[in-house]
Amino acid sequence: MNSPGVIAITGLGSFLGSSLVKRLLQRSPDIRIVGLDLRRPFRLDPLVQFHTVDLTEPTSDSRVAEVLAEERAEVVVHTAFRSEPTADREMDHELETIGSLHVMNACAAAKVKRLVVSSSTMLYGPWPDNPNFLTEQHPLRGHPGSHSVSNRVQVELLLEKWRLRNPDTELTVLRNCWIFGPSYSDHVVRYFSRPIVPKLMGYDPLMQFIHEDDCVHALETATLNRHPGVFNVVGRGVLPLSTILRVAGKRILSMPSPILYRMTDYPSQGQTGDPPEGFYDYLRYLWVADGQRGWDAFGEPIYTTREAWMSFISTRRMRRYR
Amino acid sequence: MSDEIDLDTQVGAESSDVLSAELREALDGLRDEIRSRFPVRQRAPVETIDWMALAQQIQRRLSTLGMSERSGEVDEFGMDEIVLRRARPLLDLLYERYWRVDLHGIDRLPDTSPCLLVANRSGLLPYDGLMVSHAIWRRRANQRPRFMVADWLITLPFVQPFLAQLGGVRACRENAERLIRSGASVLVFPEGQKGAAKVFRERYRLKRFGRGGVVRVALETRVPIVPIGIVGAEEAHPILFKWHAPARAAGLPFLPVTPTFPLFGPFGFLPLPTKWVIRIGEPISIDHLAPDAASDELLISRMNEDLRSKVQTLIDTGLSDRGSVWE
Repeated sequence: MNSPGVIAITGLGSFLGSSLVKRLLQRSPDIRIVGLDLRRPFRLDPLVQFHTVDLTEPTSDSRVAEVLAEERAEVVVHTAFRSEPTADREMDHELETIGSLHVMNACAAAKVKRLVVSSSTMLYGPWPDNPNFLTEQHPLRGHPGSHSVSNRVQVELLLEKWRLRNPDTELTVLRNCWIFGPSYSDHVVRYFSRPIVPKLMGYDPLMQFIHEDDCVHALETATLNRHPGVFNVVGRGVLPLSTILRVAGKRILSMPSPILYRMTDYPSQGQTGDPPEGFYDYLRYLWVADGQRGWDAFGEPIYTTREAWMSFISTRRMRRYR
Repeated sequence: MSDEIDLDTQVGAESSDVLSAELREALDGLRDEIRSRFPVRQRAPVETIDWMALAQQIQRRLSTLGMSERSGEVDEFGMDEIVLRRARPLLDLLYERYWRVDLHGIDRLPDTSPCLLVANRSGLLPYDGLMVSHAIWRRRANQRPRFMVADWLITLPFVQPFLAQLGGVRACRENAERLIRSGASVLVFPEGQKGAAKVFRERYRLKRFGRGGVVRVALETRVPIVPIGIVGAEEAHPILFKWHAPARAAGLPFLPVTPTFPLFGPFGFLPLPTKWVIRIGEPISIDHLAPDAASDELLISRMNEDLRSKVQTLIDTGLSDRGSVWE
């Protein structure tokens, strides 16, 4: 491993951002980390240089560029993405797409060596004509009904253009599947932690998870080493949705698709936003990614899909019974 | 002395009897008085049901109900060994008794190396794929060819979970190549949906074999192509004509009208017990071709047509050998 220089992390408060900081500082306390976020995270390590940046502001690109130049950052890790759905479409677009664009432009201006962006295999989209394993070359078709997925697809398209314009900067995109583990939480985790889980009647797609440790490990490896390109970051193995739920002893509420879609449309269009629009399509069709390229680059994941899931449910059980 | 004592005790007993009777009476009165003045609410004995325990018990039963017939792990295309083991008696019944399948030419199949099996498609539900796969597995325990299923069928609700567990895979090049590279044989039906939708008078006349995707997969993965002719399956679901209007509402490509369906409702979906003959032909080796042959369109088209005629010959042999549809 060559010395990475100063690492700047956007979205320090996000799960991936904060876990990456912890990992990097554990590895060696000499690493200089610059954190950018909307507000200072609670109990931030004093070794981290913190800067308040609001990526939704129109001039945030020059602000980020200033910070990067001032701190002489060489690696930028962009993890400032929502893990929670929002009904506010405009805000979502401002943060995810335009915010990422600001970060990209700032990186180009500050001439950083490496840009690492966290993405998701959800961007391939649940389509009936997906092959069983989606490789990185597969087009990102997204989900037409989900604005958050569409925004993330736009981010990847912008990144692709940005890569062509900035050939000197290495770009690494990590597309991870649904994360499970002892401490991670988002709307997917909340869906799966319900005692009674609604499911589409007659559909039982194969699912693929990754453990949070493996996900952070891949992010850390991509931050410290040269791995230009796009990688699927997924666990080994697949499991049918119904097996996943039954292994955890959950009760399954199978509902015909028209009824379930109607039931979830109204709350998700309102302010509750949970689960987001189009979520149940991800429990309808296949969108399993081929992780071979990622495993070759970042090493074999410690947890398989099944083990990631078991790790998640066992910690949930311990919490419930204390 | 003894008399006196006797007498004495008798008297004493008598008087104490009277006394205790009076006392008991007074006490009873007092008790009644107390009871009437301070009534004690009598609680009827309630049979306590531990609802929580019952609910937990039911929940445990329900949640483990589905797990007994499936394994916790599936292979990467969703095939489930336990489901297959449990389905084996049914598949054997279909194979031995219902369609009385005859298998010819199993020795022509490569022993261990994967190959690309190419057969004629018939019937809406993929019974033919299941039967060929089962036939080969009965003779070669280490080999269970995965059969490819058309898009609309593998995403059809209620059908999709079962097909995946029994070894069905969505028909596309990526899947076929991945399966072959992992060492599994793959059974494909290049006619595709056109084959499944053949009406009765077109039976056993092969449709176009796609655009040569099968040959391309074989050239990419360098495995031999084995032609297979299935005779009998095309009469199991004799489609008289196709009915388009109601099918569009249900998202199906068309609604088949057979002698039994939709006349007898869901029972009409039962295939007819015709006699099946599966003929495995001589493998077509591609070892003599250069690795860059996959880009030679004319070669692919010629090989594709050659493959089609080989499958057609196998079918024709089977047809001329058999006496009737049922025997």
